[in-house]
Amino acid sequence: MLDELRLWSGILSDPKKRAAYEDYAETWESRIGAFLQFSPDGPAASPTTEQGPAGALALVPFAVKDNIAVEGFRMTCGSRILENYRPPYTATCVARLQAEGALVVGKTNLDEFGMGSSCDNSAFARTSNPYDPGRVAGGSSGGSAAAVAAGLVPFALGTDTGGSVRQPANFCGVYGLKPSYGAVSRFGLAAYASSLEGPGVLSRSIDVAEEAFRAMRGIDPLDQTTAAPPALPEAEAAEPRSVGVVRGLGGLDPAVEAAYRGALAALADAGLRLVELDLPLLDYVLPAYYTIATAEASANLARYTGIAYGRRCAGAENPDDLVRRSRGEGFGDEVKLRVLVGTFVLRSGFQDRYYLKAQTLRRAIRDELAGALREVDLIAMPVFPTQAFAHGDSGMDQFQQKMADKFTCTANLAGLPALAVPTGLSGGLPTGIQLMAASFREDRLFSCARMLAPAFPLPEPPSFSREFLK
Amino acid sequence: MKYTSYVGLEIHIHLLAKSKAFCSCAARFGDEPNTNVCPVCLGHPGVLPALNEEALFMGYRVARALGCELSRRTVFERKNYFYPDMPKNYQISQFAAPLGLRGGFEFEVKGETRRLAIRECHLEEDAGKLIHAGSVTLIDYNRAGFPLLEIVTEPDLKDGEEAEAYLRSFRRLVRHLGVCDGNMEEGSLRCDANVSVNEEGRGLGVKVELKNMNSSRFVRMGLDYEIRRQTARLAEGKSIQQETRLWNENRDVTETMRKKESASDYRFFPEPDLPPFEPDEAFLARVAGLAIEPPLGRKRRFVEALGLSEEQAELLVEEKSVADYFESALAQGAEARTAASWISGELRAQLLRSGQDIAASPLDPRRFASLLGALAEGRIQGTIAKQVLKAVLDEDKDPETIIAERGLEQITDKGALGAMVDEVLSREAATAERVRSGDKKALAFLVGEAMKASSGRAAAGTLKEIVMERLS
Repeated sequence: MLDELRLWSGILSDPKKRAAYEDYAETWESRIGAFLQFSPDGPAASPTTEQGPAGALALVPFAVKDNIAVEGFRMTCGSRILENYRPPYTATCVARLQAEGALVVGKTNLDEFGMGSSCDNSAFARTSNPYDPGRVAGGSSGGSAAAVAAGLVPFALGTDTGGSVRQPANFCGVYGLKPSYGAVSRFGLAAYASSLEGPGVLSRSIDVAEEAFRAMRGIDPLDQTTAAPPALPEAEAAEPRSVGVVRGLGGLDPAVEAAYRGALAALADAGLRLVELDLPLLDYVLPAYYTIATAEASANLARYTGIAYGRRCAGAENPDDLVRRSRGEGFGDEVKLRVLVGTFVLRSGFQDRYYLKAQTLRRAIRDELAGALREVDLIAMPVFPTQAFAHGDSGMDQFQQKMADKFTCTANLAGLPALAVPTGLSGGLPTGIQLMAASFREDRLFSCARMLAPAFPLPEPPSFSREFLK
Repeated sequence: MKYTSYVGLEIHIHLLAKSKAFCSCAARFGDEPNTNVCPVCLGHPGVLPALNEEALFMGYRVARALGCELSRRTVFERKNYFYPDMPKNYQISQFAAPLGLRGGFEFEVKGETRRLAIRECHLEEDAGKLIHAGSVTLIDYNRAGFPLLEIVTEPDLKDGEEAEAYLRSFRRLVRHLGVCDGNMEEGSLRCDANVSVNEEGRGLGVKVELKNMNSSRFVRMGLDYEIRRQTARLAEGKSIQQETRLWNENRDVTETMRKKESASDYRFFPEPDLPPFEPDEAFLARVAGLAIEPPLGRKRRFVEALGLSEEQAELLVEEKSVADYFESALAQGAEARTAASWISGELRAQLLRSGQDIAASPLDPRRFASLLGALAEGRIQGTIAKQVLKAVLDEDKDPETIIAERGLEQITDKGALGAMVDEVLSREAATAERVRSGDKKALAFLVGEAMKASSGRAAAGTLKEIVMERLS
């Protein structure tokens, strides 16, 4: 077992440690609101398998974003429409962690159904940044990022559809891994945009992130889009030797720009060859991404009707009325907007102009990146053009937030693994860099993160403590 | 003015797969409501479909039997529309790349063989069932996710009679393939139609879709009604509305269900949860390996090669198990026409009485052939053969054993028969006298008495000869 995990293992079964842990968590929760449910003594907090205590994650607590199903917990997806929904099954990724002995301590906040970059689109709670409660934790996996940054769990699961693991990780100064599409089963992840998303891991430790990823990955008969990693030639080392740097990236905040330059310098110092790249199709990433994501969302969210489960409106006149009003009352504005856009782009007679064109772009973007990743081992990019922004109107509006997804959406369109790596603080707020690798080459991401680690000691938010672990 | 009508069919069949199309729940009728369900077929948040290859395999078998090109890369798509009994509010179906394309299927109508062009076959999932009970609506999700194969024909049929004939032929085919029970009343075979009428020589008219025809007879009646309705409107100079109409079986008319304006836009797009299916050579070889002789071809062969009548052959090929039984019996030495008439006559009646299935009855083809052999050799006669048949079904013994145990073999020995006749003549001396003086009716009585004395085993011809000899 990793040293870091050994520290955490068993704290819930030791009454003294647990009390200290709960106190610590409570203090943080009143400030950041990372969890929608927190129950370290809950039904899911006991080992589920016999080999659990012997596993790589034995008795290690972790948190799960509230759009991933865990039996024993509600799964709200941050939406009124699933306010009291209890899933009758557990997601494959969680079950695999549980099989290694890990324990779910709670469900973390998110933008409704994963739609947003701030966690402010949650119907239930506002999650704040541990470095500055006036600012957002990012999104949509903001609850998981904040919980990890504050030291409430050694790792947490998020989901990444267009950057939803990497951007909040970046805002909160922790590692955030979005695995290759098909590497980790989506079974149990409430779908937003099926062809783009998957579960990911957030942690303050790259070793822990890798351990959790190893436990979760692999073929799942319940998700036929999962695949086994292709066999690598013997000579292929995990250690990357070259990094592609995209030419002409504009629109970055000065602090982000400076941190990005600093990170590139650190990569060069670590012995990596920096290669300038042109990725002209990057300009088409956002329209392609939002067309496909909303199209899939319009179908994925059609199941929420209040009929078989979830929130049901009162006094419906007939089944159609019940469906219409339950959805009207249950969904938030951003969800409604995306469902409407998705319905629009899929209309017959308009698919050529929108959906099919987006798919053509997607293929071209995927090919362009695959080509680039034959020349270089990794591609480096910023995660987001700004650092954590302020809650509410003084921050970014919904449209600006979407425009800012450009760097993260790329990996989702291409199905590539990508990692947000923290690179310290600027103006008291975390900064970071994003690394992208060829499909199923997560090993290169972990390796590169370790190469960067000496240059960038992990930041700690004010009042961060690990006393309760001792 | 002369008008031409064009009819195309959309047939849905429930495939007899063990489990549902995209989860492992049992695909079974008649269970308690909402017992064969799981998070996947109930469309819970987070679940994903997992393709049932057995259902897809059956789909390919039907497509092959219908002469379709088999897709080497078939894609699933989401068909989006809201309906209260559809758990996900989209149906996983196929649109751009269905599993089978461009086929043709021969059937007989009005004494002729016709070939109907098939547009495509695609696999999809069924929805649940709404049950309206007073002021509440209940949903049974047992059927949700049942594997359905939809077969779309070209609009090359002319009228209800042709459609009914095609449908019966098609039903017989899928039953022979063993992929569907073909029960229209229970909805395991459903048929919708599209129908248009236009002035002769001007091609397809305005298409009307017709639904709710729950038997092949209603398909015929619904189409004929609709063709008459459209023809009458055109003759009056009126136009036809593009719409969907329902057959009302109580009033024998079609009625508007929805107009074109309220038709759904299904917003098809590829199902991101299911990778395209690319059958490999082994899969296609298994499909080919289970190919069957089409029932119509088999019938032709029975008529042409075995000399059966049209009616006999038709009866035999109605069920594959019966046709198979017939051919096994021939392989065991039975004579074709005798076997055919026994199968569709006495055997059928006896099986109905005993409630046995021909394929599993104690009278297997070997025993059946041996029974017919004894009959052909004249060792037993017809009425005795029927008794033996019944005894085999009841006691599960070889016919020869029953014949021997019960001493049922025909008596042909003239000496033995003569003794029986003499005994009857001496008992019935008065009647014998009447025959001698020319009373023909009395002769039949005496022969009958002698037959009784032999317990029905006497060779009838020889017996009569002896009686006549004695009285001449």
